[in-house]
Amino acid sequence: MKTPIVLLFAGVLLCPAPTSAAPSTTQEIEEALTCQCSCGLTVHSCNHLQCGFAVPAKQTIAEQIQQEKGKDEIIAAFVARYGEKVLSAPTTTGFNLAAWLTPFLALLIGGAVVGVLSLRWTRKRLRDAAETPIAPPSTNQYRARLQKELDTFDG
Amino acid sequence: MTHLGSLALALAFLLACYAVVTSLWGALRRQEAWITSGTHAAYAVFGCIVIAVAALLQALIIHDFNVEYVASYSSSTLPFQYTIAALWGGQKGSLLFWTFLLTFFSTIVHLQNRTKNRELMPYVTATLMVITLFFLGLLCFITPPFERLSFTPQEGSDLNPLLQNYWMTIHPPSLYLGYVSASVPFAFAIAALVTGKLSDVWIRTTRRWALTSWFFLSIGNLLGGRWAYEVLGWGGYWAWDPVENAAIMPWFTASAYLHSVMIQEKKNMLKVWNMVLVILTFALTIFGTFLTRSGVISSVHSFTQSGLGPYFMAFLLLVLTTSLGLLIYRFPELKSDNELDSLLSREAAFLLNNWVLVGLAFATFWGTVFPVLSEWVRGVKITVGPPFFNKVNGPLGIVLLFLTGVGPVIAWRRASAKSLRRNFTFSLVSGVIFGVLFFLLGYRNYYAIVVLSLAGFVLGTILSEFYRGTRARQAMLRENSAQALGRLVGKNPRRYGGYVVHVGVVLIFIGVAGSSFFKIEKQISLKPGETVEVGRYTLKYDGIKNSEDAHVASQAAVVEVFVGGRQIDTMHPEKRLYKKQNQPTTEVAIRPTLREDLYVVLGSYDEPSGLATLQVFVNPLLSWLWIGGIVLVLGTCITMLPNPAERQALALARRSVETGAEVAAD
Repeated sequence: MKTPIVLLFAGVLLCPAPTSAAPSTTQEIEEALTCQCSCGLTVHSCNHLQCGFAVPAKQTIAEQIQQEKGKDEIIAAFVARYGEKVLSAPTTTGFNLAAWLTPFLALLIGGAVVGVLSLRWTRKRLRDAAETPIAPPSTNQYRARLQKELDTFDG
Repeated sequence: MTHLGSLALALAFLLACYAVVTSLWGALRRQEAWITSGTHAAYAVFGCIVIAVAALLQALIIHDFNVEYVASYSSSTLPFQYTIAALWGGQKGSLLFWTFLLTFFSTIVHLQNRTKNRELMPYVTATLMVITLFFLGLLCFITPPFERLSFTPQEGSDLNPLLQNYWMTIHPPSLYLGYVSASVPFAFAIAALVTGKLSDVWIRTTRRWALTSWFFLSIGNLLGGRWAYEVLGWGGYWAWDPVENAAIMPWFTASAYLHSVMIQEKKNMLKVWNMVLVILTFALTIFGTFLTRSGVISSVHSFTQSGLGPYFMAFLLLVLTTSLGLLIYRFPELKSDNELDSLLSREAAFLLNNWVLVGLAFATFWGTVFPVLSEWVRGVKITVGPPFFNKVNGPLGIVLLFLTGVGPVIAWRRASAKSLRRNFTFSLVSGVIFGVLFFLLGYRNYYAIVVLSLAGFVLGTILSEFYRGTRARQAMLRENSAQALGRLVGKNPRRYGGYVVHVGVVLIFIGVAGSSFFKIEKQISLKPGETVEVGRYTLKYDGIKNSEDAHVASQAAVVEVFVGGRQIDTMHPEKRLYKKQNQPTTEVAIRPTLREDLYVVLGSYDEPSGLATLQVFVNPLLSWLWIGGIVLVLGTCITMLPNPAERQALALARRSVETGAEVAAD
């Protein structure tokens, strides 16, 4: 039981989550860029009618793809013109790496704390149980019955 | 009337000061008369705020445009329901509305505890009144809502057209109800820390308040998503906007609290952690308000941005230093006898659940503030948008979904291999069936299949819980299935209502998975009579219908929808121009079904050529998100039903405090 659960957790946490199903390169690039009209959305999702940034940006992306430019090259051109703020997510270099690593680091530390405390509390319980004086034989049958009912009772 | 409103605010401020001083004085001197006087002052504060709210509403209704707030957020042609909604549509009005809710809840708390919790109540009063004083201070000295202009405009500027929508009349009040009600558990936590009365009494007393806060935060977030979906026209409902994040963070910590508090009630564990969660939830509500009003981080919610950031930051620091200071002071008394019988137990599952929920809150917080941090450290502006949050929070959400299925069913103390097999066999089969079914239906994406399979797993566990409980009652008490089910839920509404809430959460996950991973979208320009294929639909554009009134001019496209050659609907996506603000908006046309939503936006219309640009989205399974919200609401209502066992436990806890004796929790 434990092994499949661990594998599921590991598989889920280690695989990057896609943001949409099989997006085209155009959509990928549009999703990688933030619209600069203050809508807070990506170029792809910008909802402003005749947006002064998203509409020409989409045209530029479409033209550059037709010129067979690569995704990274197109994005780099936008960054060169508008700065890093045009990216919809931080890069994975330099200080920006902290954006990605910190949540997982915090989770790891939190998980370690939860794990250590859980193990400590479990060992304490076992230690306390071992130190408890053995009850007179007449109560053992009731303890066994209580334990059995507790095992099946989940309320 | 507005002069009366200003006077009422000033009087409220003075009365709140009086309430703080007299409550604390009475508690320190053990003089009930002073405590009672403080309580009465708190009631009077509420009365004054009611007058202030009435004054502002009156000014809005009679269109008193000499009042700056009325001129900025209403107009003579604004429909009545939005004139009322203008009360919370702007900065000053929303602060006044927050204060109204806070003092209203304070009044209810005082009425509920007239003869209970007498040692805690003076400090509860003081805490609630200090929070009230902060907001009253802003309203009286920094951003007065009754400020008058030096002239009287003939017409107001109107409410932001984006707010003139049904969902926006109820989304902000819901969120405010959630934010403000988090003050009550916080106030009781502070009172418990100050007095040293650290037993379960304050937790059991405030459980319903914590649940209320969580309930309204859930509704507020869902309504905000629904508004975004219907109004913003980008085909989605959640963009990890900083203000959206501000609303979801306290929801994460409140969810963690509602689970971990059960461990304290059952096992007398995690006292410090529960205190931390209550403080954190309240602090995050203040932080959220700081985000919306400070302008620190740019957001689509820009209509509430102002220069109040430093005041909220100062108050937040006061809250954190005071509460954490008290926590450290009382730490030795809070330390409990923590024991776990087994790592395979409900306690352990709830610990994991807390780890994930607080992890989600932290990840969201980190992503929201990182742009500010980056600018401070490197001097470079960056954006942290949906791709970041989806990649970080997505996997955590999947783990949470798994725990949603495990937690309710695994036994307290220790789960045996036999009980695990009995409890999870059906669920595992159910999960596999769901996965295979969706795969066969064409949902072929690894992550989506994992989510949908887990959804089946969780639904299986919950269904089996209801089934086993009902069958047990039928066998023991000879009840029919309807009676047995009704009484099963009635005897333990907290447990079974919680299961229904989990069903709602699962349905929300199904809606999110379907619409996130399998969305189809297309943008196309059409002349009248032309068609476009999107997914299984054929859409035929039939031209534009124009309409106009004093308030708004509208162009509505007529779009016929066909499936398999048969017309199934006619949709009317609109572009509107709100005349007062000269602001265009979109009115999306949505055709929802259980299978998918067909979502059509009129992007632009060129009158000379008759060319209309349509954006068409097909969002699979999205309706289940809203259905899940309704189920979540129903489940929460069930958990709030009167529970004799809970009342008994609270009475026992109070008696054990009074006699000083050790009483077993159950």
